[in-house]
Amino acid sequence: MRFPLHVKAALAAGLLFAAAPLVRASFTPPTFDDEEESEEGEESAEEDGPDTRYFAVVGADIHTGTGEVLRGATLLSKNGKIQAIGYDIEIPGRDFQADVPSAERGYTTEVLDATGFRVYPGMVAIESSGLLGTGGDFRDSIDPFDQNMVLGLGAGITSTGQGSSAVKLKRYVSDGTDVDYDFDGVVLRDKWYTTMSYNSANSRRSLREDLERASQYIREYRKWQEDVKSDKELKEPSKKGVNGSVVEVLTGQIMAKFRADSREELLGIARIAQEYGFRPVIDGAREGWTVADELGRAGAYAIVTPRERRDKNELLVRDGGSSIENAAILHAAGVQIAIKPGSRGVSLGGITGRDIMHLPVEVGFAIRGGLPEEAAVASVTTVPARMMGVAHRVGTLAKGRDCDLIVTDGDLLHYQTFVQWAVVDGKVVYDKEAELFFAHIRPRAETEVAPLQRLDAGENEEEEEGDEDDDDEKDKKKDDEDDD
Amino acid sequence: MTLCTLLLAALPATAAQPATPDLLAIKVGKAETIDQGTLEHAVILIEDGKIVMIGEDLPIERGIPVLDRDPEWTVMPGLVNAYSRGPLDSRGGNDANPGLRASDELYPGEDFYGDVLELGVTTLGLYPAGNGIPGRAVAVRPRGDTAEEMILRDDVYLKIRMRSSGSDKKMLRKGFEDADGWIEDEQKAREKWEKEQEKKKKSKKKKDDDKSVAGPATPSLDDDDGEYTPPEKDASAEAFLQLRSGELTALFAISQASDYLHLIDAIGDEEFQWDLRVPVTSELNIFYVKEEIGARGCRVMIEPQLSQHPNTLRLRNLPMELSDAGAKLVLVPRSDSVWGHEEWLHNTGEMVGYGLDREVALRAVTLEPAELLGVGDRVGSLTPGKDANLIFFEGDPLEPGTRVEAVMLEGEFVAGEVKL
Repeated sequence: MRFPLHVKAALAAGLLFAAAPLVRASFTPPTFDDEEESEEGEESAEEDGPDTRYFAVVGADIHTGTGEVLRGATLLSKNGKIQAIGYDIEIPGRDFQADVPSAERGYTTEVLDATGFRVYPGMVAIESSGLLGTGGDFRDSIDPFDQNMVLGLGAGITSTGQGSSAVKLKRYVSDGTDVDYDFDGVVLRDKWYTTMSYNSANSRRSLREDLERASQYIREYRKWQEDVKSDKELKEPSKKGVNGSVVEVLTGQIMAKFRADSREELLGIARIAQEYGFRPVIDGAREGWTVADELGRAGAYAIVTPRERRDKNELLVRDGGSSIENAAILHAAGVQIAIKPGSRGVSLGGITGRDIMHLPVEVGFAIRGGLPEEAAVASVTTVPARMMGVAHRVGTLAKGRDCDLIVTDGDLLHYQTFVQWAVVDGKVVYDKEAELFFAHIRPRAETEVAPLQRLDAGENEEEEEGDEDDDDEKDKKKDDEDDD
Repeated sequence: MTLCTLLLAALPATAAQPATPDLLAIKVGKAETIDQGTLEHAVILIEDGKIVMIGEDLPIERGIPVLDRDPEWTVMPGLVNAYSRGPLDSRGGNDANPGLRASDELYPGEDFYGDVLELGVTTLGLYPAGNGIPGRAVAVRPRGDTAEEMILRDDVYLKIRMRSSGSDKKMLRKGFEDADGWIEDEQKAREKWEKEQEKKKKSKKKKDDDKSVAGPATPSLDDDDGEYTPPEKDASAEAFLQLRSGELTALFAISQASDYLHLIDAIGDEEFQWDLRVPVTSELNIFYVKEEIGARGCRVMIEPQLSQHPNTLRLRNLPMELSDAGAKLVLVPRSDSVWGHEEWLHNTGEMVGYGLDREVALRAVTLEPAELLGVGDRVGSLTPGKDANLIFFEGDPLEPGTRVEAVMLEGEFVAGEVKL
């Protein structure tokens, strides 16, 4: 089962190195503060303040998305970033022998007891629409109360591509005090791809011209960078006629996305991508299985919808048309697969089961066609995260990553499985029992209903006890009244 | 002249009223004072249009004319609608016009004013129409031959529409940037002026070497630009400086929960007085942030209307929920027509029927809007010293069958047939 993954990884690494010389020389690819962040995490010398928020999931089988399954383990996050995953992890504020009086603790801890459930990384939908409201720049237009966002979370999606940006389903959770919402945290990345087309003679010609000019410009620019050291008066090469997005693609800053299904187009894209040294993302790729080796060699990514159909051109002898095995064959050839359903948005009409709410169901059809389960999970977690260049934050559960996870009552890809809780940035943003949509379908059994323990900054602990007393008193009063 | 005749034609009931005496005592069965609860067998003493005294079973000095309607009448302060376009047309732009005033479009001769006055609406807050930042509202009494006679207070609030959109957030931020820009310009201009003054002083010293130099404030005859004049403010800078200084308050019109979050984001660290306007729609989701709004304790202006939980048929009483969460409630008529004003109190009563606190409800149509308009010291409650704006009912004002018996505006009966 694991073998193909390793092959894939090796292939990916190889291809990355192949593309590396282009990247390395002068155009620095966007730097992510991954390492710095994890270092900070390691130090954890940061003093806990009243704003420090710990969140822990305990008792669940944690599928980290990196191959490990930790049974009955604990995941701890601090201020929305995962701090530790494993066993015997000390949860601040939960240790019973704590020598610090609770009132002086000065931080909040929330513990989700998910014993008997499974934890997966929150799913990353490579494409969706309408989950964050209708707007352009989500920092200024997100609707964190949108019903579609709740349904998306209920489907297990915590991040998604919308347009060319990568965003999070950052639902607003009220804690009853003043507004506390990080608008900047909504957007993971502003632009992860540019669209290229290769479907007509014209577009092919102009694409080749664009690529030629861009690579020419990059060569000139690098030469200038060297020469300018000795001759400071030298002018920077002109950008005139150069497509900036194409330069970004060739320097590895963003991806090139093609919409293509036919064998001829796919071959052409594979060829041109290898020629100019970039890794194409192919949306559709319905006949990809017929040219899987070529696509694999070009290091292509594919976004596939297993249930989409395409008829074979019966005039041709060679293979063609769609195949249920498409995803499996592409995967075996080293093409990284992301899966998307037939409809991008939440659609409550028409034929059910084909919209974004049924992402795992769509993935199920790829498994039916032979895609290994691990690759299937990766197709809605790590691969889309990698494609969008946000794998350092989402798609897997590991120290330093965002605490975006889902708690399910079964295998992620089983048709019967429900998402019980969804967590974004270390906050529970979806609870099946608390929403109107699925609470009535197979409700959590009494023994499984795990109360969310909230350990406040200490000051409320006594009050909680007090509340209980009050309740008792009320009950007593009620009893008395009843007696009367 | 024509205007006068028009007015007379428009207000026949008012014109036919006999003059109300300057000094009058009114005895009623019940008085909803708003600020000191309900008084039984209340006596209100009115002199020169003001309430002088109010209390239960007060002795009335002989010689003072008495209107005795104890126990059949109930009195409450005149209604205050802080959010109306009245008869003004509703077209407006989408830009930032913080200098525009609704008072500039005031036209006293409209039927609307007389009609709502007869229904007991004694104070109106007229807002400027449009999206973006349409301008400043004005508080008026719905009576008077000229705009000056009508206006109680101008520049009562700056209306700003805020949606979950980059352009609206930018508009608000830009307003404060304009204010900052002016402060910077002003500082520069002042420094420049001070330098010039110093130069002049020096040159003067040289000239009048033996004369003792008077203080810098003393105007000298040969000073051509004596006093320091700060640079002119544009409308935007002026409005936002007024917001900061507290001379002006803001009323943010939002339409859903997310707008509130974006509003808080756009406001950032700026501190100024602001309130909310939230029009009720069938599936308004403002309840998601009611605790946040309540924690802030601002006023929320909303219609007395039930709404549904989104995508369900569950009814929600949002005015009640907001009030319970700690927000100060201002209720406005469901429709800005005369009919809407007629139904206003009954709709408010409906909310009380659905659980809203009665005191809160009465306050939400009188004192709270009056305070929002900055005229809380003059109208909105039955308090000695305030204008004698009163509505008289036979029965509970919040019951559906109750009708307005008489209306008094500043000590004068303007509706109802009242015989002493």
